[in-house]
Amino acid sequence: MNSGARSERLREEAEALALLADGMTVAIGEPAPMAMVRHIIRRGLRSLTVIASGLSLDMLIAAGCVRKVISYYAGGGFGVAVAPSFRRAVERGEVEVWECEEGILTSGLEAAGKGLPFLPWRGGVGTSLPELNPDLKVISDPICGETLLAVPAITPHVALLHAASSDVYGNVQHCGGPGWLDLFLARAAERTFVQVEKIIPNEEVRANPWATTLARADVVLRMPYGAHPFYSRGHYVQDSAALKDYVAAASAAAERDEPAALERYLARYCREPASHVDYLERIGIKRLLSLHEY
Amino acid sequence: MQDYCSVSELLTCFLARDLNDGEELQVGVALPIPEAAVRLAHLMHGPNMELIFLGARMNVHHLERVPMPAFGWDRRVVRWAESYSDRGHRFDQVKDWHRRVFFIGGLQVDPFGNTNLIGIGRDPRHLQFRGPGSVGTPTLTTHVGRYYIVLNSHSPRIFVPKCDFVSSVGWDCGGADARRRLGLPGGGPKYCVTPLCIMDFSEDEKRLRLRSLHPGVTLDQVLRQTGFPLIVPAQVPTTELPSATELAVLRERVDWVGALR
Repeated sequence: MNSGARSERLREEAEALALLADGMTVAIGEPAPMAMVRHIIRRGLRSLTVIASGLSLDMLIAAGCVRKVISYYAGGGFGVAVAPSFRRAVERGEVEVWECEEGILTSGLEAAGKGLPFLPWRGGVGTSLPELNPDLKVISDPICGETLLAVPAITPHVALLHAASSDVYGNVQHCGGPGWLDLFLARAAERTFVQVEKIIPNEEVRANPWATTLARADVVLRMPYGAHPFYSRGHYVQDSAALKDYVAAASAAAERDEPAALERYLARYCREPASHVDYLERIGIKRLLSLHEY
Repeated sequence: MQDYCSVSELLTCFLARDLNDGEELQVGVALPIPEAAVRLAHLMHGPNMELIFLGARMNVHHLERVPMPAFGWDRRVVRWAESYSDRGHRFDQVKDWHRRVFFIGGLQVDPFGNTNLIGIGRDPRHLQFRGPGSVGTPTLTTHVGRYYIVLNSHSPRIFVPKCDFVSSVGWDCGGADARRRLGLPGGGPKYCVTPLCIMDFSEDEKRLRLRSLHPGVTLDQVLRQTGFPLIVPAQVPTTELPSATELAVLRERVDWVGALR
């Protein structure tokens, strides 16, 4: 007779995300786990350090959740070169930037995952990055004497990711491979929360364990269409019209000091819906289904 | 020239001619001219080229038309890819990037081809303009065999004696051994192209040098729009116009929507 029962890791949104608190370092995966991002905005969390890029980062800044940004890129797309709320907040000194680039960020996450105080990296030698970010140390390597950057370990309190499916035990499967930095974020973070399009039976995982791309997620959330307005591979493409609406609203607030449209957007899509399903109802079934094909 | 082709088409064809069969051509976000140039080169003379857009690596030489999809990570972008390196391992084989060619833009460019994507201003905590950030350009420009600086405008605001911040090292403080002294293995910037002219870097000093003026552009105009002295050779040719074949391939098989017109 076996003792006890295996613990499931599938949680409801409110219960799971109650762990998120002001001041945490939160890493956002690719595609952005927007259901969890909207949850953070609805809760009104403050003073977060956010590892993210692009428009999910911009939305968190617009909603006032962010104190510090660890980002290699905050482009806007849709006609703007720089994410509007990011740009305004940084220019005003309201948000601090831990200046880095992709190779440096990857090295810091890898150092954390490997339990090392730092890892060396060459990209960034000779640039302004070590002046702008004093955490990056210019070192002479002890083997060959080359000039390199020492990138300190970056350990997020929590990595928030989006994937195609998982069983209730946190065996996560991506469709077409994990997002760009997702496994680095998961290995570096103290805890990893993964929202998925659907929950699959454990038997399906066992039938093909090679398909498991991320094992031992600490928490799994069932969030169909949870990456909307971004894409979810194998499920839907990006909702460019929705992203354009956001960029237009954020640009009006940042560049022309007209915050009404942005406030409306955040209220309508982030703060008012009591749950992810309420958000989906606001978007509407017609629109969601139109994203299945291209 | 406007009757014959646009300046974006001119630059696209110039860059395409400079790319060699067998090379790996990586293009980042928001650079429509290089996006078109690598496709044009691929169709014109590069059956063994590999095009890399974000994580998607493709050879699409067999296609009749090579569309320019909107950037992103969803399936519309990767439908022609043969592999997809978004597993965080894009930087795990930089030792082989001498085969790779890259393109960057910049908020500022200095006389030695150092560039800035970080921001404009003296005080980093209160920038006049906050740029998008370095993306992966510091690592790419450190390692790739060569790269091109591609700009949408040419003005003293962009061409400055000294960048407020440097995100990609070109030739640092100048000199043919500048990169070697920093331990940067890649070949550095080859050309800097703008709507007014093509520039390269002098062999000894590695300082920006005028290479050709686009049709209808005067030397005086370029010097006025550049915020530092440019090396000007005794003879400055006119940038070669695209051939009728190049333009036809570009317009019919790459940019049939006319984004570059």
